[in-house]
Amino acid sequence: MTEPKQRTGQPVSFRGGGFAPKPRRWFGAAVFVTLIALAEWGTRSGFISALTLPKPSDVLATFGELYTSGLLFKHLLPSLSRLAVGAALGVSIGVSVGILIGLFSYMRAGLVPLVAAIFPIPKIALLPLFVIWFGIGEGSKYALIAFGTFTPTVVATYGAVDNVDRTLIRMGQSFGLSWWSIVRKIVFPGALPGILSGLRISLAIAIILLVAAEMLGAEYGIGAYILEAGSLYDLERLFVGVVILSLLGVITSGVIALIERRLLDWRA
Amino acid sequence: MEITLDNISHAYGDTTVLQDVSHTINAQQIVCIVGPSGCGKSTLLRFLGGLEQPDAGRVLQYGDPPEGCLNPLTFVFQDFALLPWRSVSGNISLVLEDHGIRGARAKAIIEDVLLRTKLGDFARALPRQLSGGMKQRVAIARALAVNPAVMLLDEPLSALDSQTRELLMDDLVDLWTRQPFTAVYVTHNLAEAVRLGHQVVVLSRRPGRIREVVTIDKPLAEREFGDRDLEAHQKHLWQLLRDEARAADAELIHD
Amino acid sequence: MKLTRRQALTLLGATAASGLSMPALAEKKKIKVGALRFTSHSASFIAFERGYFAEAGLDVEFQFFQAAQPMAVAIASGDIDYAVTAVSGGLVSLAQKGAIKVIGGALTEEAGIDGQKYLISDASYQAGIQSLKDLDGKQYAVTQAGSSFHYMGAKMAAAEGIDLRFTPLQKVGAIIGAMKSGQVDAWSIVPHIAKPLAKAGAWHIVGNVSDYLPDYQVTTVFTSAKNAANERAQTEAFLAAFSRGAADYAAAMIDQADGEDGVNTMVDLIHKYVYTDRPREKAAPSIINGTMRISTGAALNVGSVQDQLSWFQSEGLVDADISIDQLVDASYVDTVGG
Repeated sequence: MTEPKQRTGQPVSFRGGGFAPKPRRWFGAAVFVTLIALAEWGTRSGFISALTLPKPSDVLATFGELYTSGLLFKHLLPSLSRLAVGAALGVSIGVSVGILIGLFSYMRAGLVPLVAAIFPIPKIALLPLFVIWFGIGEGSKYALIAFGTFTPTVVATYGAVDNVDRTLIRMGQSFGLSWWSIVRKIVFPGALPGILSGLRISLAIAIILLVAAEMLGAEYGIGAYILEAGSLYDLERLFVGVVILSLLGVITSGVIALIERRLLDWRA
Repeated sequence: MEITLDNISHAYGDTTVLQDVSHTINAQQIVCIVGPSGCGKSTLLRFLGGLEQPDAGRVLQYGDPPEGCLNPLTFVFQDFALLPWRSVSGNISLVLEDHGIRGARAKAIIEDVLLRTKLGDFARALPRQLSGGMKQRVAIARALAVNPAVMLLDEPLSALDSQTRELLMDDLVDLWTRQPFTAVYVTHNLAEAVRLGHQVVVLSRRPGRIREVVTIDKPLAEREFGDRDLEAHQKHLWQLLRDEARAADAELIHD
Repeated sequence: MKLTRRQALTLLGATAASGLSMPALAEKKKIKVGALRFTSHSASFIAFERGYFAEAGLDVEFQFFQAAQPMAVAIASGDIDYAVTAVSGGLVSLAQKGAIKVIGGALTEEAGIDGQKYLISDASYQAGIQSLKDLDGKQYAVTQAGSSFHYMGAKMAAAEGIDLRFTPLQKVGAIIGAMKSGQVDAWSIVPHIAKPLAKAGAWHIVGNVSDYLPDYQVTTVFTSAKNAANERAQTEAFLAAFSRGAADYAAAMIDQADGEDGVNTMVDLIHKYVYTDRPREKAAPSIINGTMRISTGAALNVGSVQDQLSWFQSEGLVDADISIDQLVDASYVDTVGG
């Protein structure tokens, strides 16, 4: 080997960065705080008129009043029970129908077009019909939320069943597992990740539909509270209601994440 | 238990994949099936296991499965087919549960097969925590748990790297030596075929027919990596296959 | 007759535009007026059709709404200039925020003229609830909390000494459905909706709103606070033209000054805007049944408005510290009560 000559090397320029999301924990909170601070400053200084936005501090105060008056739970509990019953109905029927569609060709041929046909119907449009079918009480509210969560659950579920690794099912058959065992021990757990991510969407839709469900004949409920605030043009109360809905959304999303972490810990 | 292929023919749509295949698999022997891609080796194995039905011909079994056999015809798949949400022992108990074997009895069987496949310490591990070779050992352990009459192995080592493959071949030989079992072993790797097969069935390119059956008399336990006479067999097999493989390759492009 | 009148209107419009008549405004001003397709908005329709707006120097464009609430918001946002609607909690809130002002009166309950009715659904009636007193603890339909229906129900309940459960159903259509199917027990509504369905057996008329709320100022004329404060000439012009429409309406429909012919002419005019989806012969009875007093000279019963405001405040629907002056600009029209 010859003595290495003195040469000037150029460093290879780096071009591999980006495109890889990294956790930036506090940034989300910072964006929130900044926006709220801006709104507070704007409404205080008069830069934003009282007609455009309420003062965030007033919204907080209104929330405080709602809490101390005990009305918060008077509104929250009926809404939560409507959400729970409606979503439980819609999701459980949706998962069952989705699995049936995933497993049986006739079910698929018969129900997929039907589901595609009812998916885009704005469920709010059917509210008067539900009132006639299920009465003006809780029945029509459960039905609306159940119906709204049913279709996305079905679509997510049969998509998830379709995505279950066929070799696992074939393995089950090759060991002589019964049909029910294969559904219970292979198809359902295999479809669970897809079902759970469908559940995020379904439950968000349930919260959206809560306001619609409480349009007819609800004295108490977060949706009724928001509608009343809207009709009174009471922006503080409107925002309190909206914030409660947002929090409900964040909480359900968090609960699903928790369930995912528990049930899907087998994923890397 | 013996198993016989009687004049098997099969087509997928207009494409005939197998034609007039007849062969008998002797008890306590390993039969390797080799052939170019698309010759219907894996299809043949699924016929043997009852997962698919041939258009013509029959698969016949003779004699009763041994005592305590839960699943006479048992597969080992190329991609392991382990349930990712069940632990190693859970994957094995899966195939016992349907036979009503639970609790202590299941535990005893699981411990036994894990010991035989050298997985004793990994009973509670999840598949994602295991290497490819270990995953396939779990699949083999699962197959052993049902005490099969015939093991149907569908390219079981193809997804593994070559060192792991060598180790697992040794393991399979050990297992067989300790307790001989009947097996049909589909592979495209000729080294595996001459190492594990008492018989090697060579299929032609599509439509697959039996081109030749090569019998290797040397006992499994005496075969080694780089064995002279094995290499001769391998060379012979390669000569049989080379032209078929080349033609098959061209055909596939043609499709 | 109709044709000649229309020709006359065109002529009038033309003269107004050419500035030969006596315009209230020197220049023609383009304004937007919000309206619902109800007979109670007839004064605006008449003022437009008969060229009173044009004579006042206003180039009016109607903007139609489905409900009163978005109309109030549209005034606040400046999308429309003038509108007529019931005093509601929403209206009061917008007034508190300095967005709108009530500047005159429109629909008024008046003794002797058929006004709004209290109704009990047939199902409840058959079950023995046959007078307003029997409604204790029953479901009373309202569109929304703080609506005029809520006010009418609550005032009646207070007078009768009973408790009502107010059931919000958002829309008049939904309430009619719920009344028909017996899902709610009682409601109040204008006579031209109340009477035909009472005849059809859907519900029973059991009382007059005017018995509980004499001189109730049902609807008011309102505009943006900016218009009320800075566009005095334009606002006066609007109210003057509106009043002429109201006067024509009262003369033809209540006093029947021109007899049958006068009523028919007026029905023809109103039918251009209201019940347009029905043939004239079917629309006419509804339009005639819907006749109510629209205040002469857009006079405002401040006493009634004050009563409504106080009720909203007592129910906690609006802030307790809103004064009548924040809601009403009384400088434009004659006021009663107060």
